[in-house]
Amino acid sequence: MKRIREENAAFGVSCRSFIIEERSFMPCEDLLYGRMSFKGFNPEIEKLMIQMNSRGKKEEIEVDDKMEADVSDEEMARRYETLVGTIGKKFLRKRDQCVLQDEDEDGNSNTRPSKKAKRKFLKPQD
Amino acid sequence: MAAAEACVGQVVLPGDVLLLPAHPDEDGERLRLGGGAAPRGRLLCGPGLRRCAAGLLVTKCGLLRHRQTGGGAAAGGAYWVDSQQKRYVPVKGDHVIGVVTAKAGDVFKLDVGGSEQASLSYLAFEGATKRNRPNVQVGDLIYGQFLVANKDMEPEMVCIDSSGRSNGMGIIGQDGFLIKVSLGLIRKLLAPKSEIIQELSQLYPFELVLGMNGRIWVKAKTVQQTLIIVNILEACEYMTAEQRKQALAKFSGN
Repeated sequence: MKRIREENAAFGVSCRSFIIEERSFMPCEDLLYGRMSFKGFNPEIEKLMIQMNSRGKKEEIEVDDKMEADVSDEEMARRYETLVGTIGKKFLRKRDQCVLQDEDEDGNSNTRPSKKAKRKFLKPQD
Repeated sequence: MAAAEACVGQVVLPGDVLLLPAHPDEDGERLRLGGGAAPRGRLLCGPGLRRCAAGLLVTKCGLLRHRQTGGGAAAGGAYWVDSQQKRYVPVKGDHVIGVVTAKAGDVFKLDVGGSEQASLSYLAFEGATKRNRPNVQVGDLIYGQFLVANKDMEPEMVCIDSSGRSNGMGIIGQDGFLIKVSLGLIRKLLAPKSEIIQELSQLYPFELVLGMNGRIWVKAKTVQQTLIIVNILEACEYMTAEQRKQALAKFSGN
């Protein structure tokens, strides 16, 4: 026994990190869930029994199963792309809306929009 | 002082030291292990055992059990002492049946058979809010689990799990019969393939709630059926399998 201690001290490893103390019997003996019902006396409890007792084994499988979506992820992303623009337009002032339209049509975004975007108030000439 | 593996299934007494096999991480010995190249993993030291310098120290008398767990947090196996007792000591995470003895403002006091009464807050039920209080009276039976249970503090119970769902916990309904049995019997009944439960389930339709504190609540269609099940549960601790089958055969005819 002394030799093991000395060896442990030499390697700087403590046995203690490998032993977990547990006060409860549940993880040791793998006990079932405490509420039970038989022959259909309480259908909710019977459903619960199946669910709780298979929980430990089937947890991983349940997590992997995803519901099949009606709309695929790609379609959703495409829709959102245009959706942002459509809703954003609602909050633009009327003058800015024209600018936006021209930008889409032309593709040249240097000279013209800068002129048109900053149309100032024209004083009436007498 | 003996090797832990040699004592599995034998009677151990408090004060016995069980030696564990050598540390697989010691450099000089790695080659010797042969087939077990992967590290042993953590060992679970269950009820009745404590860590000590050399290995495990036994603190209760009983049979030493061992289980080789497949994976998870305690790969490497679990050792525990299978002891018999009637008195329950609250343990965190255990599901127990408590009897409400007092209502003190926002907290219920429950008798769980331990040295102290457990406290249960009225918010610890599913769907309970400050306005929507659960309808709990003195004398009601509650099935819940321990949130806090150590020797320094008063035990605290809750009737919901970590995600807020009740999962069958809460107030146990009307009628039925509550009995007190030893803790060893409860573990026998809760074992994965318990013959007693399987045989009883063939008898009548009934409902059963088993608390780890030694309390069992039974409810069947008639009072007579309930009493029959209660008597069988109380007696089956000391009956052999043969005697139990004979006793059940008498009633299955009815």
